[in-house]
Amino acid sequence: MASIARCLRIARPSAVSAFAQSSVRIARPFSVTANNEVRKYTREHEWIELSDDKKTGYVGISSYAAKALGDVVFVELPEEGKEVQAGDALGAVESVKSAADINAPISCKVVASNMTLEESPSTINKVPEDHSASGGWVAKVQLSEKGVADFEKLMDEEAYKEFTAAEDH
Amino acid sequence: MAALLLRSTTGGIRCLTKGPAFISTTTTTTISSRLGFSRLTKLRRSYSTTISQDLLNKKVQVYQSTSNDPYLNLSIEHHLLQHSHPDSYVLFLYINDPCVVIGRNQNPWLEVNLPALQETEDIKLVRRRSGGGTVFHDHGNVNWSVICPPAVFDRDRHAEMVVRALKDLGVTTAKVNERHDIVIAGDGRGNGKDVFKVSGSAYKLTRLRSLHHGTCLLNSPQLKNIGKFLRSPGEPYIKARGVESVRSPIRNVDVDTQEFNKRVVDEFLAMYEEQFGEDVTVERVGEDLKDMSNIRKGMDELTSIPWIYGQTPQFTFSSRPTEDDPRERPPLDLDVQSDFNIEFTLRHGEIQTANVSGLKYEGPATDKDFYDGMISKALAKGSDDESAVKLYEIKDWAAVLKSATAGQGLKVSDSSLNSLSEWLNKVFPGSHFR
Repeated sequence: MASIARCLRIARPSAVSAFAQSSVRIARPFSVTANNEVRKYTREHEWIELSDDKKTGYVGISSYAAKALGDVVFVELPEEGKEVQAGDALGAVESVKSAADINAPISCKVVASNMTLEESPSTINKVPEDHSASGGWVAKVQLSEKGVADFEKLMDEEAYKEFTAAEDH
Repeated sequence: MAALLLRSTTGGIRCLTKGPAFISTTTTTTISSRLGFSRLTKLRRSYSTTISQDLLNKKVQVYQSTSNDPYLNLSIEHHLLQHSHPDSYVLFLYINDPCVVIGRNQNPWLEVNLPALQETEDIKLVRRRSGGGTVFHDHGNVNWSVICPPAVFDRDRHAEMVVRALKDLGVTTAKVNERHDIVIAGDGRGNGKDVFKVSGSAYKLTRLRSLHHGTCLLNSPQLKNIGKFLRSPGEPYIKARGVESVRSPIRNVDVDTQEFNKRVVDEFLAMYEEQFGEDVTVERVGEDLKDMSNIRKGMDELTSIPWIYGQTPQFTFSSRPTEDDPRERPPLDLDVQSDFNIEFTLRHGEIQTANVSGLKYEGPATDKDFYDGMISKALAKGSDDESAVKLYEIKDWAAVLKSATAGQGLKVSDSSLNSLSEWLNKVFPGSHFR
């Protein structure tokens, strides 16, 4: 995800209506993620949450990004088996005439894509940080050794909160 | 104005006549700012046969293409997006030969009148990398494209820049609307109140860069035909995932393309030049860039059939209303039974599921359903099968249907098969044009 979070920050008032909330802190739907320690964020607004054994993880876009993007009308999902390095495009979302890359937060291999998003792309607006069956996660991935190292470099929730607060000012 | 246009866009320019390479001219450009002062800036506009790293590192870069090849121009644009310095500001202007350009996540069978494009052989079909809807380009459109750091990106910033350029040219009613399109009232100069779209917007956002492009309708000779090119015969039968275009009334701004280019460049420089002092470059580029490997690679991708057609999001095609797509269908003039129906589900342009029923057979009619089922099965091989029926490879539906019915005990009547093929050839014509 590019820094789309900033897309509309300085847009004209008439264009801002749908996105007016973008800079407002919203309660994140963390109900499904008991252990926040294993969830980290990128500066490009992706999140990744690792399983307890740190061998697999779920990837998605942050609530902050989902708000800023506006209504998502299509999600390009990665093919199963795709291998990517941290920062490579993993997929893409389209909203408000914008095709935005979703980047891999870490080096990993895609083991599943969230097919719910094919049928119902707006799920990514509603529950972007939920990795349950009806959630807005994008892909389930398998970590390489390098991926584990990449993970350590990412921001935890607290740091990401500060980061997005700074972006808004 | 009867013509209609869809919602997205791309940007570009003709401006400078195509000449031999290596000609370098120095021109003087007037820069007028909206604050009312103007000053003269001497800028060297040279023709570049390549885009060097030195150019890509300049803080402010202006490129104008001398080529009208849409695949080349979009590939130059993509190269600039991928390789310009992350902190730089880039303006790229180009004019394309006649073409219909669909958005990244659109369906050509739904958005485009493919048979009309085939009849007018010189109109190309292009799928761009940015989002948004379908537009028409020709020599009367200037495409403008701005690449900037994500930190300063917003969806109206550079549409407003183009509006200022139009206002400089006397188009006083130009403004950006809530869809990020540029619209004018009446003729744009105080006559008439009806609102017309004259330029759309589409965006591509990557990790390091944000691209905004649009196509400005200045003096397209095809204005009256644009609606026809963008009206698909398959539309009543297709329900697609992905992005559908929004139709808007359009008109020409009636401004000279070179004048427009000049003003857009001026406005762009007025926004960024002061900030960056001398670190500015204004270049002409063209066909020579086809020799750059990354641009060649971009063109190969853009002209490939799997990109143009195979990238299409999943869609369904059905000759009767369905639960998922309950619209009434227009009557069909086919030699088939009254209970006739044909339905496909397609992914990446390949038939995944098929349901054909109600064909007419020769001879005594028993077990028709069985034979209909055999045809359905033959058409739907699924994506795991190498021989899956790819819509974009079909040249003639009669051949496809004949092969699906080959060896059957009961023969589909010629007239049934031919009438169906003729219709399907219109809705899903082959891809033997680009």
